[in-house]
Amino acid sequence: MSVLDAPVASAAPAAPTTGLTPIFVRLKLTLLRNGLRQSSGRRAVFIVSLVFTLLLAAGQVLGLVLLRGNADAGTVVVLLTGVVALGWAVLPLFFPSGDDTLDPTRLAMLPLRPEPLIRALLVSSMIGIGPLFTLCLVVGSAIALAHGAAGVVFAGLAVPLTMLLCVALSRAVATANVRLLNSRKGRDLAVLSGLVIAVGIQFVNFGAQRLGRAGGLSTLEPAGDVVRWLPGASAVASVDAASDGAYGTAVAQLLVTVTALAALMWLWQRTLVRLMTAPDGSTLAAAEPTREKASGRGGLAALLPEGRTATVMQRSLRYVARDPKTKAAWVTALAVGAIVPLLNAVQGTGSVYFACFAAGMLGMQMYNQFGQDTSAFWMVALTISSPRDAYVELRARAYVLLLLTLPFTLLVCAVTAALIGDWRSLPGALGLSFALLGSMLATGAVASALFPYSIPQEGAFKNVVPGQGGLAWISILGGMVAAGLLAAPVIVPTVWMHVTDRHDALWLMVPGGLVYGTLVGWAGLRIAARRTAARLPEILAAVSKG
Amino acid sequence: MPDRADARTETDATEDAAAGASAGGAGETRTAVRVQGLWKRFGDQVAVAGIDLELPAGKFVGLVGPNGAGKTTTLSMVTGLLRPDMGRIEVAGHDVWTDPVEVKSRIGVLPEGLRLFERLSGRELLAYNGRLRGLPGDEVDKRATQLLDVLDLAGSQHKLVVDYSTGMRKKIGLAAALLHNPEVLFLDEPFEGVDPVSAQTIRGVLERYTRSGATVVFSSHVMELVESLCDWVAVMAAGRIKARGTLAEVRGDAPSLQSAFLELVGAGGRDAGDSLDWLGGSR
Repeated sequence: MSVLDAPVASAAPAAPTTGLTPIFVRLKLTLLRNGLRQSSGRRAVFIVSLVFTLLLAAGQVLGLVLLRGNADAGTVVVLLTGVVALGWAVLPLFFPSGDDTLDPTRLAMLPLRPEPLIRALLVSSMIGIGPLFTLCLVVGSAIALAHGAAGVVFAGLAVPLTMLLCVALSRAVATANVRLLNSRKGRDLAVLSGLVIAVGIQFVNFGAQRLGRAGGLSTLEPAGDVVRWLPGASAVASVDAASDGAYGTAVAQLLVTVTALAALMWLWQRTLVRLMTAPDGSTLAAAEPTREKASGRGGLAALLPEGRTATVMQRSLRYVARDPKTKAAWVTALAVGAIVPLLNAVQGTGSVYFACFAAGMLGMQMYNQFGQDTSAFWMVALTISSPRDAYVELRARAYVLLLLTLPFTLLVCAVTAALIGDWRSLPGALGLSFALLGSMLATGAVASALFPYSIPQEGAFKNVVPGQGGLAWISILGGMVAAGLLAAPVIVPTVWMHVTDRHDALWLMVPGGLVYGTLVGWAGLRIAARRTAARLPEILAAVSKG
Repeated sequence: MPDRADARTETDATEDAAAGASAGGAGETRTAVRVQGLWKRFGDQVAVAGIDLELPAGKFVGLVGPNGAGKTTTLSMVTGLLRPDMGRIEVAGHDVWTDPVEVKSRIGVLPEGLRLFERLSGRELLAYNGRLRGLPGDEVDKRATQLLDVLDLAGSQHKLVVDYSTGMRKKIGLAAALLHNPEVLFLDEPFEGVDPVSAQTIRGVLERYTRSGATVVFSSHVMELVESLCDWVAVMAAGRIKARGTLAEVRGDAPSLQSAFLELVGAGGRDAGDSLDWLGGSR
């Protein structure tokens, strides 16, 4: 079937009748090869990642094969496949520009029919390190589960089906979101991916700890039973079912995958056709009606008296909600600040004092305040003409921090105490949190004035521009050590009360910590304000490198 | 060209300005910006090499020069955004570095190459900037509405600035710079990358603003633009002022400001010579 219709009859003596698939496969291989030819660095990265992936895959396969015969093998394998399928679905959202051959906008000018195009894209998507890794994993899973002839037959079907499903899932998600991914919102999303990974690591960490303890793998069983019927893993689950002789279940599970694959292919084709025939996204964006909204002051700022404080607070809060870098930093701090004490408490290993971690994590947001402004800091610099202006500016930013942090700290402390059942230590933890927060605000404000650095706006994992890494380290590390020292007048009596068993006096630490934290914070802001007002051009230069 | 090069004294310049002012009917001569012995070095490179300059008030002043002449560096130092290595700067009679309270309330700035708070909408940015400058909220909102209308941004006022085009960014930046009705407005390359329609809008607003007696200082390397807009010009090259004065004085006998400028910066008469003689020859 000819899919590449020649634009002019004479220009194509023999229309390619071999189909699109080999062309796309060759294109993919050529792109891969040419990419490697471009620079030796890229070649090295490719080889290293290939070797690493193969080693990892080999380890996985080995592990899976060793799992053969284990009572929990089915659950583990099914969950693993489910996670891999989920990874395929999410990955294109975070790394949108992975594959040129898959970018439909590059194909829009070619006369291609949808069905052969989809087939060709699907097959060419199977080439690469990612698919190779997945293949190893799926084959290993099949080996771990297949027993007897029926098991082998189902394994023979499950492996290609799972592979196809993963790739189709990834492509369907990417195509459906291509307009988003090429827009500013999509790039914002990519910046937020760092957050997902940072928070995800915490959960994986605690999940692994939990598995290592009593109960072991069997605790996963309920989750496994659900995932067995989800499309990503159901084909692999069918191998398990067939090996156990439950052929009805096995066929049903296989059918789930087949149906899902068909649905995904249909969805993918539909979005691809619409994408390649509909007007370009930029035209649509321009024609989009603008949001109608009330002007100027709304929400919180309406409650505050007019002036710099309310203005700065409103702007900072809007940035927490709208700026991907700021939002990512905040959500990471909130999530990690809650996860560490709470999960420790759930496992019974923690102490109420772990809740101070929340105050510490959030206090870090005070660091590099002006770097968070990027070079837009000039607008701030032009309105600061005295240490008083700088003080009000910094104080307003500290208020925003407190507005979010104080209730959060109270909540985390209370919930941690409730989970552990140690209400006696709660006042100590609260007092310590207040003192720590005040110290972090103080050192953060001073570090913002003395060691500002630029935060690159693109990329999820870069938070410092090249050349300013040392500065960022001095700022944060030095600041945290200083904050710890500053909080010592509250830490020492708290420890002393515990050691000497004077728990009934711990309540003193709540007002004590509050007063001390406020004083330290106020003093820090005062010092920082004077330095800020004197160093405006230097700060602007330091934060304008991103 | 000795009569309009470096050798000119500040008194000459002031007299010229006075002549220009009376010719324009603006009344007595005032100095908007006075710069003395201004130096700035970045490592080994001298960006600004000892500038002395007096810019007349109530004029449309153009700071022209090729890329890398030191225009942005000069404007950054004059507006207090960059610390000079040496020199003295006064704006409206107040020292920029010792009296920032007086200066910062009197100037409006549109820098080049610096961001805005782009995650605010156009209207929010104006509201933020006006209130930060201490204007009452109602007044800020009233002025913002008018500026957004005049600058043709009313339709996009609720869009985030990050989604604005270059022309729209320049216009919202200009609106933010004008909001507090400054005495002196500094604009770094305000027409760079701006479409003709937006350029005409910006121009209209600036002309109206200078008619009120305010001073506009703007940098550009587009001579036609400078020629059609400015009353007074300073030509910069390699960190120095090569000429200054009214448009007619700087232009001198040259047919256009462009040719006068090329001669001043030493690029006049530069020809490819014989090196490209094959280009356009028989094929």
